[in-house]
Amino acid sequence: MWWRRRSAPAVTVIGAIVLWEAVVGGFRLPEYLLPAPSGVLAALAAEWRYLGLHTAVTVYEILWGFLLSILIGVPLAMIIVYSPLLERAFYPLLVASQSVPKIAIGPLLIFWAGLGMFPKILVAFLLAFFPIVIDTVVGLRSVEPEMLHLARSMGAPERRIFLKIRLPNAFPNIFAGLKVAVTLAVVGAIVGEFIQADRGLGYALLQANAMLNTRLSFAAILILAAIGVVLFAIVDVIERFLIPWHASHRTEMAAGTL
Amino acid sequence: MAGGGKLVEVSDVSKVYPTTDGDVLALDRVSFDVRAGEFLSIVGPSGCGKSTLAMLIAGLYPVTAGAISVDGTVVARPQTSLGIVFQNPVLLAWRKAVDNVLLQVEMRGLDPRPHRERALRLLASVGLEGFEHRYPHELSGGMRQRVSLCRALIHDPPLLLMDEPFGALDALTRDQMTLDIQRIWGRGQKTVLFITHSITEAVFLSDRIIVMTPRPGRIDTVLEVDLPRPRRLAVREDTRFAGLTRAIRDRFMAHGVLRDLDQEAE
Repeated sequence: MWWRRRSAPAVTVIGAIVLWEAVVGGFRLPEYLLPAPSGVLAALAAEWRYLGLHTAVTVYEILWGFLLSILIGVPLAMIIVYSPLLERAFYPLLVASQSVPKIAIGPLLIFWAGLGMFPKILVAFLLAFFPIVIDTVVGLRSVEPEMLHLARSMGAPERRIFLKIRLPNAFPNIFAGLKVAVTLAVVGAIVGEFIQADRGLGYALLQANAMLNTRLSFAAILILAAIGVVLFAIVDVIERFLIPWHASHRTEMAAGTL
Repeated sequence: MAGGGKLVEVSDVSKVYPTTDGDVLALDRVSFDVRAGEFLSIVGPSGCGKSTLAMLIAGLYPVTAGAISVDGTVVARPQTSLGIVFQNPVLLAWRKAVDNVLLQVEMRGLDPRPHRERALRLLASVGLEGFEHRYPHELSGGMRQRVSLCRALIHDPPLLLMDEPFGALDALTRDQMTLDIQRIWGRGQKTVLFITHSITEAVFLSDRIIVMTPRPGRIDTVLEVDLPRPRRLAVREDTRFAGLTRAIRDRFMAHGVLRDLDQEAE
C-alpha cells in the first residue's frame, strides 16, 4: 500500500524524537548536555529572527559556492575529456587540490580573500567542484564507441556530437556529482564560517556553544540539516524533470512492452 | 546505379592492430568487390576480422595496407553515404523511437521535420506502428534493433553495412528480421554487406558469400547462392540450401573452427 511506503520514514523519525524526549525526561539529563526536542523547538521559535538572519547568510554562501563549482567544474571536465595534454597538465593538480585538507588552508584563504562572505564561498566551492568534475568526466566518456562511429558516419562535427550525444549522455553522472557537491557545499560554508566569521549559522553555532546554550546549538544544527535536505531535494527534482528517461527514475514505468 | 557494377572495391587490404602484446594482424591481404545491388555476406569465426572489414569500408578505421574505394572514390574518411547497423541497437535513451531514427537527419545538420513522415512510415513498415513514441527502454530487443535499422535507412543510402545485426536477438525474432531484411533489400536498389557468423542466415539472404579464415583473416572461399527469390523460411529445408550450408561448414572444419563428433576425442 502506498501510504505504508510513504509513512515509513515519518514513523522512524517521529519514533526517534519521541525516544529522545523520553530519554532526556526519564534520565533527567541537564539541558546543557542534551536538550529535549521540545526545548530545541522552543529555542527555534524564540530565536527565529536571529537564526533566520544567519541562515540567509549561510544559504547565500552555499548557493554561490555550489554555482561556482558547476560553472567551473563542468567546463573543466570538458577540457579534460577533449584535451589529453591539458588532462595531463591539470589532473595531478586537481587531485592534489583535493588531498589538501580544506580546513588547513582555510586561515590562508581568509588571509588572501579577506573577511566577509567571499572566503566562505571559496571553501564551499573548493569542496563542491571536485565530484562535479570527476562525475562529468566519467559521463562525457561513457558514450558507446558504436554510437560515436555512427555519429561520424552521419558526418557530424564534434560540436554536434557533444551537444546531441555526449552531454545528454552525461546528465545522469553530472547529477550524481551535483548531489554530492550540494551537500559538500553546505559543509564548506560552515567550515569557512568556523575559521572566521561574524555572521552565518557556523558563527551562530560557535556563539551558542561558547555560552553553553545547547538548545540554540541544536536549533542551528537542525536548520543546517534542513538546508542540506532541501537543496538535495531540489537537485533531485530538477534531475527527474530533466532526465525522466534514466533508469534510476523508472521504477513506476512498465518496461519491455510487447 | 547500374546493376552489376562495382560499388565497393577492396584491394589487398591488411589491418594491423597494435596491442600491449605486440601487433596483431587482423586482416591479411584481403581483396574482393561488392557489386551494386547485390546482397553479399561475410561469414567467419569470431576474431577473423570481418567486423574490422566493415569498419574499414565505412572509413571509421584506417587501413594498414592496400586500398578501399566506394563508388569509385578511395575511402580516406568516414563515409556518409551508407547506413550502419551494429549488433547492439545503440539507441539514445532520451529519444523516442522516431527521434532516434531522425538522429541520422539531425546529425547531418538538416531540419528533421520534413523527414518525420518518412521516419514514421519506415517504422510502420518494420512492424513498429504504435511504438513510434516509445522510449528505447519501453521496447523489446527486437524492436530496438528495428529502430536501429530504420535509422540506417532514413537517408536512403545506396549501401547498407550490417555487422551481426541479429547477434543479440532470440531465434524467432532473428527469423522475422531475416525476412524483413530480405524485403527491404528487395524493395529498393540497395547493396547490402552483411557480416555474420550464422551460416544459415548468410545462405538465406545472400547472392554471394565470402568465407573467412580464422585470424589472421583471409578470404577462404567465395560462394554463389543461386536459390530463387524471394525466399521463404521453408527454403532452409531445401537440398540445395543444405548443400550450401554444408559447403561452408566443411570450410570451417578444414580450419578447425568446427570439430564434429568423430574429430572430437584426440
